[in-house]
Amino acid sequence: MSTATRLYLSNDTSARAAGAGVLADAWSEHPEVQLIRISSRGAFFLEPMVERDSPAGRVAWFNVTAQDLPLILSGTDGTPVRSIPFLAQQTRFTFANFGETEPLALDEYQARGGLSGLETALRIGPDAIIEELRVSQLRGRGGAAFPVWNKWKVAQQARADDKYVVANADEGDAGTYCDRMILEGDPFRLLEGMLICARAIGAGRGYVYCRQEYPAAAKTLRAAIQKADEAELLELDGEPFPIEVVEGAGSYVCGEETALLESLEGKRGVVRARPPYPAQSGLYGRPTIVSNVLTFASIPNILSRGGAWHAALGTKQSRGTMALQLGGRVKHPGLVEVPFGLSLHQVLEQFGGGMAPGSRFKAVQVGGPLGSLFPASQMDIPICYDAFAKAGAVLGHGGIVVYDHETDMVDLARHFMAFTADESCGKCTPCRIGSVRGREILERIQSGSGTIEDLALLHDLGDTMKVASLCALGGRAPYPVLTAIEHFPAEFRSKLRT
Amino acid sequence: MHEQVKSILAKVRSEPSNILKALLALQEQLGHVPTEAVPDIAHALGVTTAQVAGVLSYYPDLRLTAPGRHLIRVCMGESCYANGCGRLLRELQDRLRVDVGETAAGGKFTLDTMSCAGNCAVSPTVMIDRDLHGRLLPSQLDTLLERYK
Repeated sequence: MSTATRLYLSNDTSARAAGAGVLADAWSEHPEVQLIRISSRGAFFLEPMVERDSPAGRVAWFNVTAQDLPLILSGTDGTPVRSIPFLAQQTRFTFANFGETEPLALDEYQARGGLSGLETALRIGPDAIIEELRVSQLRGRGGAAFPVWNKWKVAQQARADDKYVVANADEGDAGTYCDRMILEGDPFRLLEGMLICARAIGAGRGYVYCRQEYPAAAKTLRAAIQKADEAELLELDGEPFPIEVVEGAGSYVCGEETALLESLEGKRGVVRARPPYPAQSGLYGRPTIVSNVLTFASIPNILSRGGAWHAALGTKQSRGTMALQLGGRVKHPGLVEVPFGLSLHQVLEQFGGGMAPGSRFKAVQVGGPLGSLFPASQMDIPICYDAFAKAGAVLGHGGIVVYDHETDMVDLARHFMAFTADESCGKCTPCRIGSVRGREILERIQSGSGTIEDLALLHDLGDTMKVASLCALGGRAPYPVLTAIEHFPAEFRSKLRT
Repeated sequence: MHEQVKSILAKVRSEPSNILKALLALQEQLGHVPTEAVPDIAHALGVTTAQVAGVLSYYPDLRLTAPGRHLIRVCMGESCYANGCGRLLRELQDRLRVDVGETAAGGKFTLDTMSCAGNCAVSPTVMIDRDLHGRLLPSQLDTLLERYK
């Protein structure tokens, strides 16, 4: 084996979907190849990407096919990884290990600074952990952007016989995939974040609610939990802290924290009225911290580097980095971790590389299927919570999808409303009935029998859904539809019956 | 059926009982959750039949009928939408001569949609059983489907 060359190939689901699986099948028995399956760097437009070591660091070959092996083995025409602009211009903290390590190698995780946040947390104790988070100004990355320390403080102070830590891995927002990457690519970082939280609030058990659409993520995470358990990491104050992976069953609204808890209890994933908030009364009525995977994965660095380090990154109301996920008709789709503050235009040009060949820009949607649409004239908006809130938009979970000139805005608006009608949990009337009526109105316009009153009706309906829905599904559903009408009125009007 | 349902449920017994977990375990073993088993499930879990039926009808992934040998799911997420998933879905409907949710003649494929596979950077996406296929063009569908027996 000493003559075999170590080649690094991602085992990430999207890398495999792009062809890494085919390469692995072709090369796994090859005598000259020692294949190391790593996480993906997130430059998915280059996948399948193959790397090997060189005296100057890793060298990569892009969009590789099995026939490229002689080229790679001879070391010809590779590109140094550190000179790939898409990666070199990023500021990677939460995603620092991606493309470097084997996801389930605990020793590699530790060698690159892993578990030092937990060590700090165990040493300084609950009050000091929460204080670091307060100083860090970390806000939840799942979409609601609530200050993390505040939630933890509530759960810490609540008196109960048991408390829970729940990682929300129900990454349902279309256009987002950073949680999947963490679950598959750096699972110990999530576990470390959950352990720090458990230590802070005094929880005795953890759950990861993982969507059914992510089978590889659930499998990797279960293996990571097994390894962490064998290394005796799943213990706090001498008591076991078991973490269990629970899989969902295809419901989008189960990504909403209270619906998620209902689902975790095995019931219909119906939204609960708040208050009480989960931090006061969550799973089985006990104080529960429900946070997104990316939020938990951001925490180890805050404990090891200090809250002030985190607060020094980003903008006034949005500290730290954000994992943006580019998709749609952009030339370079992939994961971009940067401090808050770059404009949408900068992100799409600098990282997205402009439009895919043959495409002309029409609109970009930020924040998943409930996010607002932005036309070319509004691309200067900075990527941060306050600027988006001011524009009546949301950053959500950081999904950015670009639509090109071929997109039919009326059909897209119908697609959005149909999604909400499909996914509404049915508990509150504005969402349950409103989304169905909204879809019907848009179908009417699409078929050519809509009138100008129908557009007014959509606005009225949207206003009702925004103010009266129980959760963000109904409350946000009108935004993509109404911004489509606002920015592309001619497309809607041209379809109306005169 | 009766005994098989009972033995599967015995393996996921918990306190308090978890209806969703039980139904997923049954589906994993049987390929679907037979409606006639609802009273048995309710009895075994100590809950009402209405509670079981409620959970069963709520989750899109719980199936009342057995799917074909392979389950094809076309991702309808926004990135896939922007990259032409609508065309892929129409092609599949034409080729398999089925609508969404139906099983093709011969029982080989069931066609369905999904809201997002998390494969947005390599879209459009079609998931067949547990395998993801990305950057898929309608012209590649024939070769892809031939790989499934």
